[in-house]
Amino acid sequence: MSTVAPPPMTSMRALDSRATAERPSRAYWAGFVVVVAALAVAPLVLPPFWQRFVTEILIWGLLAMSADILIGYTGMVSFGHSAFFGLGLYGAAAALLWAPGPGWLASVWGVTPKLWAAMAAGLVAAALVAVFVAFFSTRLRDIYFAISTLVFSQIFYVIIFTWTDVTGGENGLTFRQPPFEIPGLLAVRFSGDGIHWFVLAVVVTSYLLLRRVTQSPFGMVLQSIRENEPRTRAIGYHVERYKIVAVMLSGLFAGLAGVLYALQNKFAAPDFVLFLISGETVIFTVMGGMGTLVGPVAGAAFFLLMKEVFSRIFYEYYLIPVGLIFTLMVIFVPQGLLGFARRALNR
Amino acid sequence: MRFGGLSALNNVSIAIPRGEIRAVIGPNGAGKSTFFNCITGVLSPTGGRILFDGDDITGLPPHRISQKAIARSYQITNILPRATVLENVRIAVQSRHHSWSLLRHHRAYRDVIDRARSVLGSVGLADKATELAANLSHGEQRNLEIGIALATEPKLLCLDEPTAGMSVPETHATVELIRRIGANLTILIVEHDMEVVMGLARTITVLHYGEVLAEGSPGDIQANARVQEVYLKT
Repeated sequence: MSTVAPPPMTSMRALDSRATAERPSRAYWAGFVVVVAALAVAPLVLPPFWQRFVTEILIWGLLAMSADILIGYTGMVSFGHSAFFGLGLYGAAAALLWAPGPGWLASVWGVTPKLWAAMAAGLVAAALVAVFVAFFSTRLRDIYFAISTLVFSQIFYVIIFTWTDVTGGENGLTFRQPPFEIPGLLAVRFSGDGIHWFVLAVVVTSYLLLRRVTQSPFGMVLQSIRENEPRTRAIGYHVERYKIVAVMLSGLFAGLAGVLYALQNKFAAPDFVLFLISGETVIFTVMGGMGTLVGPVAGAAFFLLMKEVFSRIFYEYYLIPVGLIFTLMVIFVPQGLLGFARRALNR
Repeated sequence: MRFGGLSALNNVSIAIPRGEIRAVIGPNGAGKSTFFNCITGVLSPTGGRILFDGDDITGLPPHRISQKAIARSYQITNILPRATVLENVRIAVQSRHHSWSLLRHHRAYRDVIDRARSVLGSVGLADKATELAANLSHGEQRNLEIGIALATEPKLLCLDEPTAGMSVPETHATVELIRRIGANLTILIVEHDMEVVMGLARTITVLHYGEVLAEGSPGDIQANARVQEVYLKT
């Protein structure tokens, strides 16, 4: 009959609706501007290798950010994000390889907007997989949800790996980078800087959108599910329906990351649908700080940089120090790199 | 309601008139919690029907029950401990307004926040709005529990041992609180402690071994020889 009082948790304020927290602070927006500006000038000052490296960090960061919607905000750990990413990648590839030639859409816009066709195709492919996974996996909870997403992603991996006629099987697909187009206005080839800025614009826009979603009434329901699922149900929320939408939203943005990867690297390979990618996505999110959206981007940067540096020092043994550091971080910084700023980032 | 070979509730027929404060009491194992869980959708009865406002609500899941304007509190405090007191109530108010909005900040909906604040006022927690729910005293958490239930705008409020674990003054204050909110809605209290409901309920139903042992005014129940026997035995 009696209740065990939970310990005081002043530092773990999870859902903040204090009057004093009405608006994000000036410091938040100042930080935002500085980081975005630094990322925008990065390609101008960095050598080509590191320029590509930063662009890739943004893409993997977007993938981890999409996973954070589930892991950090809804309390569902997905080990299947490679499926959404991979379908975005292959969807874009399909559009770039087989989209109807100039005659088809030309009558509408005057040019064939291959870039936007690739984005649309990638997003539709990822969304279809997301609907499928959302419908079946959200019936399960905790580890069973995680396992089912893992199984689904492996199903898609096997399909892509074996359907050689269409997907190129093990060899994957290579294609040409589409030009940057605004239909009817301009069409220019992407320069190295150009693709970086395009990726940056998409990632920043996605961040602002996802941030708004997490602060919306819908986002508050997701966080309430994370905090106490039976209670959320008892106050009248159809929890499964919210979870389905959360998985679809997350899958859509993961697919968008896949599209960006296709645009930057001009190839699609089955390795990107493999569960290893899903595992790294979870690691980025945990390392960077769950429930912060930007933390996962920082996590991706930290992890990829660490891998790069250690592989130059320790060659093929580089994963040993990487694993050690990850283990130490989980023990000593369980909130992740940006976990300390969770409150400020969610205002 | 049966669990395998065990009949937890058998032939229990209870009608609660609108606007009444009704108490269901009984010794341990009488079937009070099973009865409560059947009404609130946690358990689906194996037989019989539950009608509310003329609707058959038998076996509906908890969120549908809540949408039918039946709210519940929990015997063991069940809140969002890491959220503020205000947010605990705000999210419950929101379950009736704008909960599928994705692109506006939740604080833009002043109507939800204003209602949440007025609910906090009615359960005496207005000055604790910005506290973390985990940091409230046990008695305050119990009242927050009632506040969350009230915030869903119920017609029927089901309270599962609302004074469990409270000190005597806290119990007193909560009984007053229930009496006050009972002016506008129907309340069902499931209680182990007979003293709590004596001054509160208009009618008391006594369960024993899954069946209705007695039903009547507090005075009748107190005078009932069989009830006394059952309560003295346990």
